[in-house]
Formats: sequence, C-alpha cells, structure tokens
Amino acid sequence: MKRNEVKNLWKIFKAGLVYENPLLVLMIGICSSLAVTSNVSNGLGMGLAMTFVLLFSEIFISAFRKLIPNGARLPIFIIIIAAFTTIVDLVMKAYFPALSKSMGVFIPLIVVNCIIMGRVEAFSSKQKVLPSIFDALGMGLGYTWVLIVISAVREILGNGTFAGIQVMPASYTPILFFILPPGGFLVFGLLMSINNGIKSAMKKREALAAKQLPDQRNAKENA
Amino acid sequence: MKSTVKLGLILAIFAAAACASLAVVYQITAPAIASQEQDSLNTSLKELFPDATAHEDITAAVTSGDETVKIVSAYLVKSDMAPLGVAIKATGTSYKGPATLLVGVRLDRSITGVRVLDLSDTPGLGGNASNASYYVNKGNKVTFPGQFTGKYITDKFEVKGDVIPITAATVTSKALTKIVKVAGASAGVWLESMALGNATPSATSGASTQATAPATSGAASAETTSGASK
Amino acid sequence: MDLMKIFLMALLVNNIVLMRFIALCSYIGMTGDIGQSIGMGTSVTFVTVLATAVTWPLYHYVLTPLNLQFLKILVFILVIACLVQLVEFYLKKNIPGLYAAMGIYLPLITTNCAILAVTFESIDYNYTFIQSIVYAVGVSLGYLLAMILLAGVRDRMKTSQVPKFLQGAPILFIATSLIGIAFMGFSGLIK
Repeated sequence: MKRNEVKNLWKIFKAGLVYENPLLVLMIGICSSLAVTSNVSNGLGMGLAMTFVLLFSEIFISAFRKLIPNGARLPIFIIIIAAFTTIVDLVMKAYFPALSKSMGVFIPLIVVNCIIMGRVEAFSSKQKVLPSIFDALGMGLGYTWVLIVISAVREILGNGTFAGIQVMPASYTPILFFILPPGGFLVFGLLMSINNGIKSAMKKREALAAKQLPDQRNAKENA
Repeated sequence: MKSTVKLGLILAIFAAAACASLAVVYQITAPAIASQEQDSLNTSLKELFPDATAHEDITAAVTSGDETVKIVSAYLVKSDMAPLGVAIKATGTSYKGPATLLVGVRLDRSITGVRVLDLSDTPGLGGNASNASYYVNKGNKVTFPGQFTGKYITDKFEVKGDVIPITAATVTSKALTKIVKVAGASAGVWLESMALGNATPSATSGASTQATAPATSGAASAETTSGASK
Repeated sequence: MDLMKIFLMALLVNNIVLMRFIALCSYIGMTGDIGQSIGMGTSVTFVTVLATAVTWPLYHYVLTPLNLQFLKILVFILVIACLVQLVEFYLKKNIPGLYAAMGIYLPLITTNCAILAVTFESIDYNYTFIQSIVYAVGVSLGYLLAMILLAGVRDRMKTSQVPKFLQGAPILFIATSLIGIAFMGFSGLIK
C-alpha cells in the first residue's frame, strides 16, 4: 500500500478517536450512552457492542454500496444495522447473560444509535471497504473510551469501585448522586466542557504556530 | 412504476437475506441461551432447597390470586422422588419497573427463602433489596429478602407490621412483600389441591416423604384457599 | 388504578429523558425554540402511540406464534420507519407549514430512542394492549414535558452570562441535571 494511503487511513482513525469524537465533538449517539455508564463493565460492554455493530454495518454497506439504490437506501441501512444489532443481542444473551441483563433495553437500542446511522450515511455508503473499517474502528473506540471515562468517574465516586473492584478506601462513603441520572448528566456536561477547553487551547496553539510561519519565512528570506 | 417495483424487490432481497442470517445465528445461540436459563434456575432452586435433586414444571397448574402479580413459572422441587416443596417465580410491578422474585415454599407452608431475580429500583434505596450486604435487621444480619425465610404463607405480610421495610424505600418494600405474599398463597393453593403436606404450622423438616392423607382441613387450610381465591 | 400508576410513573417518576437518559439527541438538538419543541414532542407522541398500537399485536399474534421473536428488533424499527414516512407524507400534504418548520428533524424521529424503547418495553414488561397504550402516552408526554422545560430554560439562559468553557452543550447538561434532581422529588407520588 502506498504511504499516502496508509497516512490517510490513520487520519480517518484518529478523527473518530479525538478530533471528531462522536460523543464529545459531533454530539451524536448520546441517547443510550449515559444510561449505561453507571459502572465501568456496562460502559465497556456497550462500547464494544456498539463498535461491533458499527464495524460490520459499515463493512457491509460499503461493500454493497453500488448495489443499494438511492431511493431505498435508508430502509436497507436499517435492515443491515438491525440485523447486526440482533446478532449482538443474541450473542450477549447466550454468552454474557449477566451483562446482557444489566444493560437491558439498551442493547436493542443500538439499532437507533445516531452514530451508526450517521457514519453509514455520511461515510461508508460513499467509501471503499478499507477506509470504512478504519472509520468504524476510530468512531467506535472514540465512543468507547469516552464511555469508560464517564463510567469510571461515576462508579468510583458513586460506588467506590472500578469494574467491581474496591478502589476507594473503606472509609469513603459513596456519593450516590453520581450513579443516579442527574449525576450522569452533570459528569457528562463537565466532561464536555473540559473537552471544549482542550480544543480551544489546541486551536490557539495552532493559530499561534500559523502566525509564526510567515514571520520565520520572512526572517529566512531577509537573512 | 417499474423503478418502484425494482426498489421494492431489492428491499425484499435484503430483508430476506437479513432474516435468513438472523435465523442461523438464532439457531446457533438458542441452545446456549436456554442452558444459561436452566443453569441459573438450577442454582436458584438449590439455594432455596439445598436437598433438591430434581424439579418438575407445574406452571400450568399454578395461578396467581392477584392480577397485579404474575406467576412466570412454578416448579415442584423434589429430592429424588420425594417432594420438598414448590418454587414460584413471580413478577409484579415495583418502584421503577417490574421485579421478579423466586419464592420457595415447603410442604409445611413455610417459606424456605426468597431470591430477588430481577429488580431495577434505585440503587442505594429500593435497589438494596438485592444488595447482599444491606441488612434490615443489623443485629441478626438479615437482608430484606432474607427476613421471609421461616414465615408462613398465611402470615399477614404487612410492611412495618410483620415485615421490616427497607429504609426510605417503602414502595419497593411493599411491592416485593406483595409478590412474596401472592406467590406464597398460590403455592399454598396448589399444594392443597395436590393434597401434599399439611397446612398446620408444625415444624416438619423440608424433606417430608409421601403425600399425607387428604382432607387435612381445619381452619388453616381453609384460610389459605379463601385468601388466595380471586 | 393500575393504569393511572403506569401513566404517572412514565410521565414523571421515570421520565424518559430526565430519569432514563433516553432520546437525548433530539432533546439537545430541538429545544432551541419552544415552538419546535412542542412540534417535535407532539409528533413523537403521535408516532409512539401508533407504533405501540401496531407492534404490540404484531409481536403477540404474528411473531410469537411463528417463533420468530428474534426478528423483533428488525420488524419494530421497520414499522417505525414506515410510520414516520406516512406521517411525513401526511404533513407534506395537509400541514405544509409544520412540515417545512420541522425540516430534517422529521425523518430523525425514526431514530428517536424513546419510540423504540417504548415498543420494546411494552413487550418486556408483559403489558396488556391497553397498558401498552397508556404507557406509550405517558412516556411520550413525559418527553414533551422535558422538551418544553428545557426550551424554557434555554430561553432564559440566552440573557445570562455563561462561563466560556461551559457554553453550548455543557451548560445544557448541567441544567438538565438540575431539572432531574427536581424530578426526583416526584418519587413520593406513588404510594
């Protein structure tokens, strides 16, 4: 593969992870994400389940993109996404019953996760399979890491545990608020504001660097 | 018109392909799903009736005496061939959603135990019903479902009366108590109809043998049946 | 009155947006304007009730007897997609003003988590048909309520000074958190 192509794939992957993070930047897929972040196991489980559905939906839709007529593309997308969601649901019920029960209705709800529909429509229906794979992995893992951070904060502060393992000292009285819905909203809001802060700091650095370049060039020319 | 038909056809092909693949996955996972449920059932039954070696599904013959509590399944639990009692899986509405309990009733109409199978109430409040380290009686280290062990199905089942509620979770406490009461009553009705054991609260062990003589009448059994009738 | 209990729990105690985190996408996206919120809320109510009325019998009288329960996800979402299409056609023809105002958000109703959640839960909770409809009405009115509340709050916030790093979505989530705390007070409503 050419070096350019590899660079492009890596760029697509990084976009989903950080710069165009679906939850923090694009702000899609929030629907079911907050509900499953009351503890880390659920958050991780949801992230991986969603990534699976996203990955295979993008692969299939990209592979068949020339066979999908424009007029019927939304229903066909829905059929494919629903099929993979059902597969995840059945597999979890069979091999991870405790997790499946704990996440309840949110596994089937993956089918209406705005991220999947959004990426499929905007990206994989117009791109080849390999870039679609990287897009799916980037977006999926970007979604997953944010879920893990939110659930870690909520579980550690709200229950004193991380993935069920006690981490806070025994004398710590868990602040129940964080496991309850309002706590989830608060943590998410604060996380978004931190991300905003990081983004604007990065933008400032880039603007500063862009300003310096012409100056440096001038200095070189005049030297 | 032709293009619409073509669209419809392509849609149908995709749909058919999706359904076919799902059917395949379903066939593959169905045995695993079924065995998961069997395993968890066996484990729960063993917890309620430690001497249990077999069980028989009697769901069709057991009815709930209260329309807000549904009998999901019922089992006659046996030790070898001797009946030990009845285990009833009942669902009722609790604070935040449905709650499912497994209630074990011995032949002497006493409750062997209650297991919370499904509960979606607020953690730290109603959710404490399924918390193994939350005690309603801190002195004796008794959990909320644990307090039902040894009670008779003919008891009053009044929260703050003969049932200790979970602090600040009255709705959950009342909802779960009701489920236990109705499940117990249904078990009693069935045991009565099969003339198994007797209704007098004598301290017989769980592993009683053959069905005792019918017509064990007396005020106790009459109470049980009338209490559970719709 | 069991039906009343189902309704109140769905509307207030277990409000689908504030207490259960469902349908947040449209909640954040469409509450910029009170008119839009009401339009979206009522459309969702209509589609939810209709979807429940169709999917409940479909599951109990078609999928279950044929042992095809595993097709639940596929079938339900397609039913909802069809219903939204029908609503779109109807609005385009009869209420073009509302159709234009809703713009891109109309087809987005298909991906509204709340509608699908209600159809699934009517099955999972073993509700009867009437109970399902009551539940659908309660949940969607709860959604409408949450939308109107946040739209009102956002309106007020337009004239307040929000710290720079909280501007945009973060302050909305924090506001939602506070509204949610208030809603937790409803927990004593059901005896």
